[in-house]
Amino acid sequence: MANSQRVLSLYDLPLWDSMERQKMALPRCSHCERFRYPPGPICAECNSMDYEWTEISGEGTILSWVVFHRQYFEDFPQPYNVIAVRLAEGPIVVSNLVGEEPQGSWIDRPVSITYRRHLDRTQHAFKLKAPDTNS
Amino acid sequence: MRLAGMAAKTASVIGIGQTDWPADHARVRAGQKPHDSYGYAAEAFVAALADAGISRADVDGLIVGPTVAYERVGELLGLDVRWGGQADAMLAVLEACMAIHSGQAEVVALVYGNDQRSAAVNYGGADAQGGSAFLSYIYHAPWGFTSQGALYALMARRYMQERGMSEAELAEVAVAQRLAASRNPQALMRKPITVEDYLASPYICEPLHLFDYCLINDGGVALIIAEAGKAKRIGRAPVPIHGIGRHDLNTGATSLEPRLTDFYQPAQRAVGDQVFTMASLGPSDMDALQIYDSFSLHIPLALEGYGYCKTGEVGKFMREHGISLAKGLPVNTGGGHLSESYMQGWNHQIEAVRQLRGEAGERQVPDCRHVHYSSDVAGKAVSIIYGH
Repeated sequence: MANSQRVLSLYDLPLWDSMERQKMALPRCSHCERFRYPPGPICAECNSMDYEWTEISGEGTILSWVVFHRQYFEDFPQPYNVIAVRLAEGPIVVSNLVGEEPQGSWIDRPVSITYRRHLDRTQHAFKLKAPDTNS
Repeated sequence: MRLAGMAAKTASVIGIGQTDWPADHARVRAGQKPHDSYGYAAEAFVAALADAGISRADVDGLIVGPTVAYERVGELLGLDVRWGGQADAMLAVLEACMAIHSGQAEVVALVYGNDQRSAAVNYGGADAQGGSAFLSYIYHAPWGFTSQGALYALMARRYMQERGMSEAELAEVAVAQRLAASRNPQALMRKPITVEDYLASPYICEPLHLFDYCLINDGGVALIIAEAGKAKRIGRAPVPIHGIGRHDLNTGATSLEPRLTDFYQPAQRAVGDQVFTMASLGPSDMDALQIYDSFSLHIPLALEGYGYCKTGEVGKFMREHGISLAKGLPVNTGGGHLSESYMQGWNHQIEAVRQLRGEAGERQVPDCRHVHYSSDVAGKAVSIIYGH
């Protein structure tokens, strides 16, 4: 079993650099302002190729979550959670929820970004924004 | 949009073949390696040709599955053809129909073999299959997110909450398909299970249980598809293709947008319009469904997406109306990928043909006149309507 690995295309490198600085940025279309995730050379909305790397707010809500009960990577012993987060800027990112976990459904819970060291990289994670009052 | 661009009943299945899946599986589990993918493909081809009752010289088109190389299969089988290529099960049938419709070929052999079990192919982890074709399979690995099962688990969690489907209702899929498998001598998993067994089984990626996941086994499948007129002349029991079509969702695929917001259903609605129009048929005309089931979730998605039940009522539909040979609308009548054999959509095609020929033995659907095959892997929807 091996460790998890990043996909590091030409367009992914600045994303990982921004997470290293704990200021995650995504390419934003200069024409229609749509954010691109994964980062890429062209806007899927308007097909403009112009963009600027723009820091995101780090705010979002949980769209869905799972708990792994099987180990696939050396660096991810089970059990562990994975969440899909709808960023305030629009895209969905896949991440991990750290810290307190909600009682009941996690869906629609507001979260905010945090960063953690994992192997030789710094990557995003999310934590619950409001205290859990649903228990 | 031109919905019925390709005429209905242009092509017919005239031959089907497979390897002996339970025997293959027993040998692999005993540590033997009876064949590689080419050997399984070759054995299935010979069986399909014999089933069709035609000679190899009649074949003028060849399409091979994704795990084998086109030229090498043609070389092994001694097939010099005027048209050929490589595709997955559903696109192989579609491409064969297109080749026949355009006059590029008249009799096409579709040949698949896979040694995924004996070759220890991984569908999750650092060497996960499919990453070169589907970026979503590998892109989220830094967060531990891997395996196609996990992609469906993430989709299932949101779908279950939004559409009101319980784990016990999803269990109906695994239970129904195991019942079908119990009546199928070629199925690998034949011991019936209950909803309680399902709920007591371990989670792999929660909320999906062990019984929501497909098998991994070796084997082969082949079909012979011929131009409809030729099929009548040379085939012993041709099964015409009444409708076939495709609609793909690509936008936002890696960030899982089509999975998590619309559950693939816009693609299913689009392709449903296309194939039902082409066939001049509707969901109520279907006597059985064959649904690509790498995971159980595909079944409720398709039942809703194609209009077999109302949106938001699929849990109730599966539980009360039923989706098994015992009750309701039979789905995956051979046991599917969950209980029969993981032949990546190929086993569903030959099961549809057997049902329409009336050759399905103990699992025969009475008076089976139309069968709808659907796949929606990664939001790429394909439908085929087989009939009399």
